[in-house]
Amino acid sequence: MTGRTLVTGVIGSDTHIVGNRILTMALEAAGYRVVSLGALTPAEEFVRAAIETAADAILVSSLYGQGELDCRGFRDRCVEAGIGDILLYVGGNLVVGKQPWPEVEKRFTDMGFDRAFPPGTRTDEVIDILARDFGARAEPVRSAS
Amino acid sequence: MPGTVASLDPNPPTLPLSDAAIPGDLFARMRRDNLARWPTGARVDVEEAAAFHKTLPAHKRLPAVLRRAVAEGRCLTQPRGGFATLAMQTELMRTLDRDGMADIVPTTTDSYTRNEQFVQAQRGVEESERLGRSMLNGFPLVNYGVDACRALIAGIEKPAIVLSGTAMPKLTAEIGYAGGYTGYLGSGIAYTVSYTKETTIEEGIRNYQYVDRLAALYQEHGVELHRRQPGFLTGTIIPPSIAIMTCVLDLLLAARQGVRHYGLELGQCLHLVQDAAAIRACRELCQEYLARFGYTDVFTPVTSLHWMGAWPADEAQAAALIGYGGTLAAVGGASSVTTKSTHEAIGIPTPQANAEGLRTTRMAIHVSYGVRLDGLPAHEFEVDLIKREVRAVVDRVLEMGDGDVAVGTVRAFAAGVMDIPWSPNRQVKSRVLPARDADGCIRILDAGDMPIPRDVMEIHEEKLRRRAERERVPFDHQLAVGSVYELSEPLSRLMPAMVA
Repeated sequence: MTGRTLVTGVIGSDTHIVGNRILTMALEAAGYRVVSLGALTPAEEFVRAAIETAADAILVSSLYGQGELDCRGFRDRCVEAGIGDILLYVGGNLVVGKQPWPEVEKRFTDMGFDRAFPPGTRTDEVIDILARDFGARAEPVRSAS
Repeated sequence: MPGTVASLDPNPPTLPLSDAAIPGDLFARMRRDNLARWPTGARVDVEEAAAFHKTLPAHKRLPAVLRRAVAEGRCLTQPRGGFATLAMQTELMRTLDRDGMADIVPTTTDSYTRNEQFVQAQRGVEESERLGRSMLNGFPLVNYGVDACRALIAGIEKPAIVLSGTAMPKLTAEIGYAGGYTGYLGSGIAYTVSYTKETTIEEGIRNYQYVDRLAALYQEHGVELHRRQPGFLTGTIIPPSIAIMTCVLDLLLAARQGVRHYGLELGQCLHLVQDAAAIRACRELCQEYLARFGYTDVFTPVTSLHWMGAWPADEAQAAALIGYGGTLAAVGGASSVTTKSTHEAIGIPTPQANAEGLRTTRMAIHVSYGVRLDGLPAHEFEVDLIKREVRAVVDRVLEMGDGDVAVGTVRAFAAGVMDIPWSPNRQVKSRVLPARDADGCIRILDAGDMPIPRDVMEIHEEKLRRRAERERVPFDHQLAVGSVYELSEPLSRLMPAMVA
């Protein structure tokens, strides 16, 4: 076990659960404790769950194109709730229509996400990068509740 | 939830759940309360709308167009599509009609509208106008209202259908039908188990009983409207039999409300024989169960849907799925095919890419006409297998409801007798797990609590074991997970070059 807790879910009015469920299974297999909120999860529910479980990161999925609206102010919400330094990832089909990925990525990192992942990202890649990001932060592991 | 329309219904349905037609006086009350939930509802008047429908020429009325397609043995094309503003939507529908030669023109609603978050949808419209690009994944039909819909209908020379993936369809159906749309996609079982987390099966069934009863009300006013069932479900490796079980149950629920023009949609498995077998089995089983309930006058065209799972990012690979999907629909004898585009892997396509998907499909249909698999042993084997699975489960569902389809369905989901792969809904056990076999057919790896006959399950297991052996992987649930993203893989993994 890594001793780290992650919150996963699909944000907004989006029901695309399959990829998120498979990601959750892979993260659990990689030794994380995963709090899986499932489909149709409002932004505030991610933040609440992260506080309640003393989570180390929030991984937001969005597949339906409206993620850009749903994710606005996500980091601000975390700051207001007192977990402003939490690691934030977002991934999926994040915007409506085919737009150049670097622009989409910048839009989401500007919103305060530490990383944005394009469609088709493999679970192994997310797990590698998570380990690296946690390593770089070199924070002590939070006490698991 | 912020922006959600509060339930203002002061007379919540007082009748216990049943499959009986909603009585006229109760339905009038339900409609009044429903239409009061958003300002644009006040504009809806069924008599006025029926008169409007009667002014539409036959080629803009979907029920007539579909009957003609079946009579002539044609396979029609229909894309999906919706953008945030009326201007964008007008342009999109014209492009699909003219450049794409779509036989049926769609209006997909955005996800806020599908969840009845009309305040948020309004913000999406405003943001889209400000930024000059669509910030919504569909058209907010309720916010715009009846007259905007009629303007859209006036802009095309084809029939139009509302596509609104929701378990809460009551306002979109009222506005859409009154606005001149002659088709509405959605059903109480299929969409509730595929598009919601907390909505109960009972609530979903009740909501669509309303829509079906509404279509029947137009029928009473001399206007035939098309209703349609989204049997593609979660779009994730759905075995044909499970799709068809929901087709039959949703169809019976609609027929009980008075619907007489009801289409069934099946997502493609991408196996020529299995898909053709699914289309035929669906058509025959629907009529078989209708007859059991005494209905001989319900028209049930079957639509085949381009692959609903994860798509390859490579547009060349995607183009193959599009063309092949046209062939699958035509060879299987589907009345129409719902198309995707080469942009599918990254999300919502541009109007041009969407139109290209339509033309690719149309050409594939053209060169595939005349080919039929009926009579081939492999085809008959699959038809028989599907029918045995469907009858075993549907008969059990009907028993559980003592003959009442609605009650039986609710009880069957609670018991896991009806089950759906990869469902987001908490009321669905989602223990059933499908996977793709060595020949490319979708099989059931684990039936969960579904009463699929033992000898049928042995066939599924044998075929999946062959795949596990061929690929030297264990025969376990990983086969199911591996099947989910399989076809989105690059060719270098799917079919590597031969090496010396």
